[in-house]
Amino acid sequence: MSGRSTPQTSQRNSRNLSQVRQAQLNGVRSNDKVLASLRATQVVASKPVLPAELITTILDYVPVPDLLRFAQVSRRLQEMVYDDTRWIQKLRAMGVWNEAEARQRVEEAMKRKTEAQMAREAEEARRTGANLPGSVNGIAGGGRRHAGSVTLFDAGKEESNYRKSLEKPQMQTSRRRGTLADGFDDLTISPSTSAQASAKPWDPSIALNVLSRVRSMRGHARQEFGKLYGALGPLYMNLSRSKGHSDAIIFRTYRDPEQQAQILSSLKQFAKCDTALGWQAREQKLDSMIGVFENAVLREFEQGCAANDVDGRMRRYAHVIVSLNGGSAAVDAFISGQPIMSRTLQVADPLDCLEAVAPGHVDLNPSRQFFAKLATTTVDQAAVIEKVFPPSIDVLPPFLSRLCEDVVANYLTTLFDEAHQKGVETYVKAVAGTFEQALRFLASIQPNKASPSDFTDKAKQMLTQCYEKHIDLYLAEELSVFKSKSDAEVGRWEKEMTEQEASAESFFMSNVNRQAAKRDFLSSFRKVVMMPVNVLPAFSTAKPAPGKSVTNLNTVHSSYNGTRPRSPTLTGADTPQRPGTPKAEPPTTELAAKAAIMNARLEGIKALFSIEVALHLTHLAKASIERATVFVRMGGQYGDEAKEQCEAIFVTLLDILGDRHVRNGFDKAIGHLSGYNPREVRELRAKAGNTSNVSTGVEPLVTFLELVNVGDLIQQMLDVFYAQELIATNVTDRDDFLDPAVKGKKKFEQMLDERVAAGLNRGIDVLMDEVEYICATTQLPTDFNPGGTSTESTIVDIGPSQTAQQIVSMIGGHTGMLVGTTDKNMLDVFTQEVGLRLFAVLCKHFKRQRISDDGAIKLISDINHYSDFVSSLRQKPLLPYFHALRELSQIYLVHIDPPAAYFSTNPKVKRASLLSGKGSKTAQQARDLATIIADTQRYHGIFPAEEVYEFAERRADWYLVKGDVERAMYGVGCSIM
Amino acid sequence: MSEGEQKVKLLSSDQVEIETERKVAERSMLIKNMIEDLGAPGEEPIPIMNVSEAVLRKVLEWCQHHKNDPAPTQDDDADSRKKTTDIEDWDQKFMQVDQEMLFEIILAANYMDIKALLDVGCKTVANMIKGKSPEEIRKTFNIQNDFTPEEEDQIRRENEWAEDR
Repeated sequence: MSGRSTPQTSQRNSRNLSQVRQAQLNGVRSNDKVLASLRATQVVASKPVLPAELITTILDYVPVPDLLRFAQVSRRLQEMVYDDTRWIQKLRAMGVWNEAEARQRVEEAMKRKTEAQMAREAEEARRTGANLPGSVNGIAGGGRRHAGSVTLFDAGKEESNYRKSLEKPQMQTSRRRGTLADGFDDLTISPSTSAQASAKPWDPSIALNVLSRVRSMRGHARQEFGKLYGALGPLYMNLSRSKGHSDAIIFRTYRDPEQQAQILSSLKQFAKCDTALGWQAREQKLDSMIGVFENAVLREFEQGCAANDVDGRMRRYAHVIVSLNGGSAAVDAFISGQPIMSRTLQVADPLDCLEAVAPGHVDLNPSRQFFAKLATTTVDQAAVIEKVFPPSIDVLPPFLSRLCEDVVANYLTTLFDEAHQKGVETYVKAVAGTFEQALRFLASIQPNKASPSDFTDKAKQMLTQCYEKHIDLYLAEELSVFKSKSDAEVGRWEKEMTEQEASAESFFMSNVNRQAAKRDFLSSFRKVVMMPVNVLPAFSTAKPAPGKSVTNLNTVHSSYNGTRPRSPTLTGADTPQRPGTPKAEPPTTELAAKAAIMNARLEGIKALFSIEVALHLTHLAKASIERATVFVRMGGQYGDEAKEQCEAIFVTLLDILGDRHVRNGFDKAIGHLSGYNPREVRELRAKAGNTSNVSTGVEPLVTFLELVNVGDLIQQMLDVFYAQELIATNVTDRDDFLDPAVKGKKKFEQMLDERVAAGLNRGIDVLMDEVEYICATTQLPTDFNPGGTSTESTIVDIGPSQTAQQIVSMIGGHTGMLVGTTDKNMLDVFTQEVGLRLFAVLCKHFKRQRISDDGAIKLISDINHYSDFVSSLRQKPLLPYFHALRELSQIYLVHIDPPAAYFSTNPKVKRASLLSGKGSKTAQQARDLATIIADTQRYHGIFPAEEVYEFAERRADWYLVKGDVERAMYGVGCSIM
Repeated sequence: MSEGEQKVKLLSSDQVEIETERKVAERSMLIKNMIEDLGAPGEEPIPIMNVSEAVLRKVLEWCQHHKNDPAPTQDDDADSRKKTTDIEDWDQKFMQVDQEMLFEIILAANYMDIKALLDVGCKTVANMIKGKSPEEIRKTFNIQNDFTPEEEDQIRRENEWAEDR
């Protein structure tokens, strides 16, 4: 539509669309009179006519009766009004149009149609002869022509359009003929029935459930709507016109509140399709009418509630309201009418839980009663609900959610706030405890018949919602409670230890000067030794047998330290006021005091960390984790958070126990071990009059080894704890190596192993120092060189010397203590190292001795003793060394007669004898010895010939036979001399 | 001079130039889009091909009155348009024109793409239809009856359900 020159023509042009349509409409009617129709359009066109799409827009605002009157105006308009989409839209607005159903119907109809096609064709072929062909085909053709000109449908509806264009003529045909077209029974029934319905006088009973009988059929939306409108329209219009609810038809027609409710809800739905002008006023009217009605019913319902008329009024009016608008008002009224809702405080006072309890504790009995009361109430109400409300709505979840929100949440918030003020510990206990009870309460609720299948989940959700606002705080607090408590525990312990050490020192020293002559402090310790060791259960399991027999002092101290926190009766006789401290009996002399301090310091190793503390910490962690795991059951995000927190608690436990407690202990112990000087201790002790020289051990090492035992025990304890608390409760996955708990545990074990290894390293040094000390102090020079050359005197006792026995028992004691405490590999390394070092020390020791062939017996028995001991260690790599040592000892056994010339005074003879010695007895024996020395095979390559030679030099008679032996070894070289 | 106070020249179909504020003119989506496409409105008047001077002035009167209305929402799908409100008083008075002019306004609103005005027009027409008999409607809208009396009766009977009682 573009440029035009004059106003007149432009006016015409602006209407050309309508002209075309007019021409179309007119042309249809009178094709022959083209000129006449042209003339007619000109006349008509003096008034502007709106295009089709504008008319449809207008029709949207037109009320239904006018709409249908509009359809009578012309074919074109009828087409527009009858347009199926318009009616489908209305049905859809009411929510009664089912697209899937419509599609299915179309498909069925198509199928049936194709089936019927054959029969129909045959029948039509038969009928065309008799019937009037024009009456059917002519009108059908007209219908098609209209359909073709309608272009308002969107592409998606093409199929239905196609069908409609096919059906419409058929419908018209059937209506006009008043019969059913064969093969179209399903599709053509509805127009005929609708026609019947419309013909009948208005029937109030139809209106009651007309909405539920609407069928979704393409091409019949208008008819279906017609049925609805016929039933509900008059009521609706009447209602919107009526002044008050008393003169509205529905309240006069329907006396029954049930029916009134039903019709009102139908009208409410029906009102949704009312888009014509003034719909707001009408809907408002309807709403207010419904409101009035609802209030009236609700009042009845509430009265029923008050009268507890469960089966009568409550039930009846609940049903009425439900059919009116889903019954939310009734549910609300019902729930808020519950005495438990309105009188919250009467259920229980949350502060009961906090009264009359020790600080840090919470009395969960009142809360348990609270939940039990709730449970019984809920069960009772569930029964009432089941009776009162129809199964279509589920009142239990809203009831429960209100219960949770109003009663439980209030109760918990008050309780928790108060508990938090009282102390964090009280708080965590209260939260975890009540949650446990809440879960039990949850379990006691049974879903109603009307409840959806996921009722239990929903109920859980509601309940957990009450806890949601607390859980973050709780989890954080739980961790901090554990942390601070365990920190305090370790701190307290450490402080106690340092105090004890300090006070012990000052106590000892002060007493030395003031109390000059008092009982020997050892005797007092002796008495303590008499105490049953098994009073200390934790320790007795950890302490292997050798540990007990080390020294009296050690045992005394260890039992003291071990049992300090536990057994007040232990030292009852001697130390009534301050049980469990080593300073029970003031030492007498200064030396004794020093020894005691020394001992105390060495013994302090056991005081470096305590299994009691570890146990205590573990208990704390267990309590915390057990509380937190309850929340894992909450599931979802909070469950995961709770899990993480459990792991965090475990990791904290490891940190505190491992890094702070155990590691410090080990580090200190290693420090003490390094600073240990056996000689000093021995001297001190000897001077102190410690006559019981049974001490065969290195105290710091013994205590250190016990420390290893304790550490091992702690580790095992943690392992059990981990398996029990974290794995068994599915908090962590054992195989997840990235898990913080697993990582923490690994770290702890590693740390322990490292410390043990470092300590053992130091321990070996100390042990060897001790061995050397024993060697140096106890080995008498006469042991291997019993003096006198006379053969008679050599007959002494055969057996290892005291030195050897001491060394073996000491080393044996120490290595034995370790068995089973640490890693097998580490233990092997340790024992091997001990064996090797022992070997080296022994070699050194033997090289310092002078050994006669008589003493050789003693030596051999010593070496055998060592060797037996070493073989008992079951360390294969050590065996060759001691085997070689045994072989070596034979060089002392070879008897060499002193050369005769040695003793003669005649140098000539002596010289002759030296020269002719080749054949002499001495030379022969020297040659034998040389063979032994030179036979490296014999020593498995452990001793080279030179070293064996060094050993040989230790023969008591070496300088007598040296020449002979060397001659035998190196041949002629010496003969020149 | 802010954008809204800019002057815009419009050219009606009968070649009359009308000057108005840009803000007023932009109630019409057609003009708005055109200005946006052209950039700033120049001296050149914008031709409104299908609308005569009288109608254009009337339309602009409406635009002047409604120039501060919120811009029409873009999602003008069928459902949101269904439940429109009643005609406001000023609009009702504004629409008290002869039927020819009413139709011209509707057509112009449709052409110039002024949704609100179109709605008002359609509602006014719908009000005119209300309560009229088919014959009166034919007269009002100048539509020829192409039904036979039987056909017309048939349709009437078919839709009896909708008649008020």
